[in-house]
Amino acid sequence: MSDAIVAKGLKVHFQTAAGLVRAVDGVDLTVAQGAFHGIVGESGCGKTTLARALIGLQSATVGQVSIFGRDRTDWAKADRKGFARTVQFIFQDPLGSMSRRQTVGQTLEEPLQIHGIGDGKARRARVQELLDLVALPETVLDRLPRSLSGGQRQRVSIARALALSPQLLICDEPLSALDVSVRAQIVNLFARLQAQLGLTIVIVAHDLAIVREVCSSVTVMYLGRVAEEGEAKAVFSDPAHPYSQALLSAVPSPNPVTEATRPRILLAGDPPSPRNPPPGCRFSTRCPVVEPRCREAEPVLRAVAHGGAAACHLADADAHAMI
Amino acid sequence: MKNWPWAILAPAFIFVLIGIFSPWLMTHDPAAQDYAALLEGPGWAHWLGTDYLGRDMFSRIIGGARTSLVAMVFVLVAALAIGVVIGSFAGYVGGKTELVLISVIDIALALPSLVIALALMGVFSGANFDWMSDYWKMIVALTMAWWANYARMSRAVVVAELQQPYIEAARVMGASHIWIFTRHILPHVLGLVVVYASADAGALVLAIATLSFLGLGVAPPTPEWGQMLVDGMSYIEENAALVIIPGLALTAVVVSFNLLGEAFALQKVPRAVRGRLLSRKKAARAAEEVARKVVEA
Repeated sequence: MSDAIVAKGLKVHFQTAAGLVRAVDGVDLTVAQGAFHGIVGESGCGKTTLARALIGLQSATVGQVSIFGRDRTDWAKADRKGFARTVQFIFQDPLGSMSRRQTVGQTLEEPLQIHGIGDGKARRARVQELLDLVALPETVLDRLPRSLSGGQRQRVSIARALALSPQLLICDEPLSALDVSVRAQIVNLFARLQAQLGLTIVIVAHDLAIVREVCSSVTVMYLGRVAEEGEAKAVFSDPAHPYSQALLSAVPSPNPVTEATRPRILLAGDPPSPRNPPPGCRFSTRCPVVEPRCREAEPVLRAVAHGGAAACHLADADAHAMI
Repeated sequence: MKNWPWAILAPAFIFVLIGIFSPWLMTHDPAAQDYAALLEGPGWAHWLGTDYLGRDMFSRIIGGARTSLVAMVFVLVAALAIGVVIGSFAGYVGGKTELVLISVIDIALALPSLVIALALMGVFSGANFDWMSDYWKMIVALTMAWWANYARMSRAVVVAELQQPYIEAARVMGASHIWIFTRHILPHVLGLVVVYASADAGALVLAIATLSFLGLGVAPPTPEWGQMLVDGMSYIEENAALVIIPGLALTAVVVSFNLLGEAFALQKVPRAVRGRLLSRKKAARAAEEVARKVVEA
């Protein structure tokens, strides 16, 4: 299977008054075609910036992204519309990402109009199809985004992203604006759409329970870098990086016995500022099992026991540090 | 008024109706002179009396409404078009282009519009501009004095809208700049600018009258309120109505458009603009002042 996304040495730096913010600082990322890939990490680790850089909403300072084997920058420049028909993006805030003047029907029709797909009748049929796909009633067509519920809004924005039948969907925290009960519905919707349409989905999330539920592969980010990556099941059952272990220990278990006895790793303090990352391993300032070498040399990603890779001096194919 | 808030729009609406239907409302030819009836007071033959050439004041007021309305519409449409184009372009393109255009707009805004208009009328009086009638010189001068406000507002709206995430969403969908501008940004710009223009109309009517009052702009015998004020001033002792009537007409129009603008502002105009619109009250007060002074003079 070819790869949907290959990012190499991606860096996104922002020049601010307070100094250079290294939001994404050297990320290599590969997402297989047909994968449901999760990008997780705490706030400020650069996961949203990474997602935006993947689709070009944020230009990369260094590095390149290829999508389905084509260089993203060249492709988007040469064939803006063709690129849009292949890759779509779902925003964190569904309300903000829709014009407040357009009804749901107009919002869903707009991508079809931009691409000159079908006549009025065909477009309306397609809009109807999209509504069915995301399980929205026809009655929402004439309503404005602000009069919809949060879950409905996100469904509309998903439907709009699907209007052009893309092959790759990049979602920037599509669930964080939603109630927990609605989250489950939307997650199931994503899972269903992926099975139904054969999409490749990249989802940025901080809700690990959901990533564990639906994702096939996962990238754990810390301070603009990849801490660990691999198959979701493997990473979740046997995290190699101490940061992943801490992150995963924060996920509640549905089993009350495990929940009562499971170990929790509490990390001290906040992550260091991306303006001034610590020398050596970026996690060394908060790592419970830090060793002197961690503060000197920055670990590179290398294969670990679960088949993925982790950036930790203490983790390799044979063993890794357990906190 | 409380039960029927739209009643506040009625005065401005009446002015527009009078302007449109003035040929049918006039009882006399506003330019026809009647030396048998000079400086008459209000009466049955001439409802509002006659001026120093025996012209019917009622017909001249009604005719003047059309003159003001037409000139105002020309200037507003032109100023709005220029302002929206320049302002939107500055806001959308950004960078150095924006900086240069903003400087031009700021310079235009720094000078009182009437001063700009007067200066331009002075320039237009040169022989190079003989091909323009005085009327069009006035329209152009006022347009040049009036566009900057609309440019500034348009730019502000464009910049604000461009920051909205839905613009990014449209870009992700593959929309072109033209699509984004015409479909998403222009409606917001026009929404605001047209509302502002409705309040601005009163000030513009006053400016047109001012230029004519100073002898620039509308040439006789076209009936024009500012000119009627000037003409009447010399005969104020014989017939004070010659000054009072056009003065009242002007005041009424300025106040009615301010009411209109205020009504819009208090209901649905964004707060940032609201303050500016309400300051038009000052313009109304100034107009009353001018009318009073003229009457007193």
